[in-house]
Amino acid sequence: MVKTNLLRTSRTTFLAAVLCCGLAPAQSSLSVASKIVASANSFLTSLDDGQRSKVLFEFNDVAQRMKWSNLPVTMAPRAGLKMGDLSGPQRKAAMELLASMLSQRGYEKVLAIVEGDEALRVASGGRGSMFGRDLFFISILGKPSVKDPWMLQFGGHHLALNITIVGHDGILTPSLTAAQPAKYTVDGKTVRPLGAENDKAFALVNALDEEQRKQAILNYKVADLVLGPGQDGKTIQPEGIKCSAMNASQQAMLLDLIGEWAGIVHEQAAAARMAEIKAHLPETWFAWSGPTTNGMPAYYRIQGPTVVIEYAPQPLGGDPTMHIHTIYRDPTNDYGKKSVARRVP
Amino acid sequence: MRRMTVGVLLALSLGGVTAAHRLDEYLQAALIGVTRDSTEVEIQLTPGVAMLPVLMAVIDQDRDGRISSEEERAYIARVAREVELQVDGVPAPLSLIESKFPAIEAMREGLGTIRMKLRTARSGHELRFENRHLPQVSAYLVNCLAAPSDGLVVRRQKRDQAQRSIEFEYSFGASAVPGPRAAWIALGPFWPAAIGMLLVARMAVLIYRAKHDKIAPKTSKLDTRVAL
Repeated sequence: MVKTNLLRTSRTTFLAAVLCCGLAPAQSSLSVASKIVASANSFLTSLDDGQRSKVLFEFNDVAQRMKWSNLPVTMAPRAGLKMGDLSGPQRKAAMELLASMLSQRGYEKVLAIVEGDEALRVASGGRGSMFGRDLFFISILGKPSVKDPWMLQFGGHHLALNITIVGHDGILTPSLTAAQPAKYTVDGKTVRPLGAENDKAFALVNALDEEQRKQAILNYKVADLVLGPGQDGKTIQPEGIKCSAMNASQQAMLLDLIGEWAGIVHEQAAAARMAEIKAHLPETWFAWSGPTTNGMPAYYRIQGPTVVIEYAPQPLGGDPTMHIHTIYRDPTNDYGKKSVARRVP
Repeated sequence: MRRMTVGVLLALSLGGVTAAHRLDEYLQAALIGVTRDSTEVEIQLTPGVAMLPVLMAVIDQDRDGRISSEEERAYIARVAREVELQVDGVPAPLSLIESKFPAIEAMREGLGTIRMKLRTARSGHELRFENRHLPQVSAYLVNCLAAPSDGLVVRRQKRDQAQRSIEFEYSFGASAVPGPRAAWIALGPFWPAAIGMLLVARMAVLIYRAKHDKIAPKTSKLDTRVAL
């Protein structure tokens, strides 16, 4: 009898533990997804009918989905709502929605890029029709839902975030982060929106030994992004050094570098994404073109089965180290196609 | 030096516009796609703001400030002549599949891209591509597209420092999606067994007939053919 009770108790405890273990992540996922949807609905509620019709698109609106660029909005027009056309509370709701989808450091990076464009507007004499924080656009594809897939686009000059939400998944690919100026000051504080992407990469290439560098450093110049805007669905042959030829410390440095892009999205989605990238790390390549002294302009590319990252200084408008373009893709899951396919029969 | 001066002067005169995008270079990006039975070359040509007058001097042959359809075709043909593809060391003639010209206004702002796609029905194991179009003013990118579903394996990629040329070796591995030809080849290891089984079957028929002929009355050759 005692034994039976013990068994029953331990079974109950075991079941409770299993349920807790199983449900905890689900509840956590649900709460992140729910918070994002609540933020989206708050933003949509803050708009009038006319604004809502401008910001909402069908989830499968391919033309809108592909309407992103590194170029200023006056040259490559975006659809959706312009931040400068929103009232204070509406703008606050829009930024709260964005913040709910991103990690703290991801959100800070995005703000630094936007404020960099504002600095460019001021440096251009404030003529302001081409640059500045008012010229970023927001759009929503599909209906915000914890169940069905939908997407948020936020971008303007030097920024294109395409965030597909599928349940608790947050897919950030393809996205473009860029910066010009790549370094500026606000209240005496230096801001480098893509500073970590630069410094961590230089640290990695300098951590390679001579033989590894021979493999990693390409013998040719790379003038621009190869798989930038307009190159959806394409993958190129990888080059450089394969991660399997790196030691554990170098591999950790590469993962940390990748985290600068993969970690932009909210922490839970970022953790899943990093686990996926880590699983394919031995098949991931790192290629470098240019000098290896930090402070000099150098291009690099990270390419694996589920990730493509390019970092390309631009020889335009002066010092290339002050004008950076980057692209972040997943050849298997751009715009969440893999996640959506898994979800939708 | 002159190129740099033009660039700096334009940068000063255009201010923020030039700060945003390509200025004094003509970006020529080529993507090469190889399959088992053909090779495609996709070329995207993006003139920087300062490059348009140089490019117009090449394209706008009647100097009317516009680009006519004939001038578009003539320019595309020139680019096609000035790129060279070799497959297994032999020049492979490229045919134009499609081309698209942007509006001249877009090119004035440095965001117009001329696109063209060329194809040859040649494929092999070694490829070399070279772009000799307007080298004085151009920056180049050239890459081979990956095709994992086709089992494409690329080795020994080599480029010149400016990326005007690329050469590589390639093959199609076992992970290729089996097409009709691949399925045929995939039967390879089973051929001896298949032939053996056919021979055994043929022998069985012959033995049966021999026995049957001994028992049954003979029929004419013609009758046998009809019966078969």
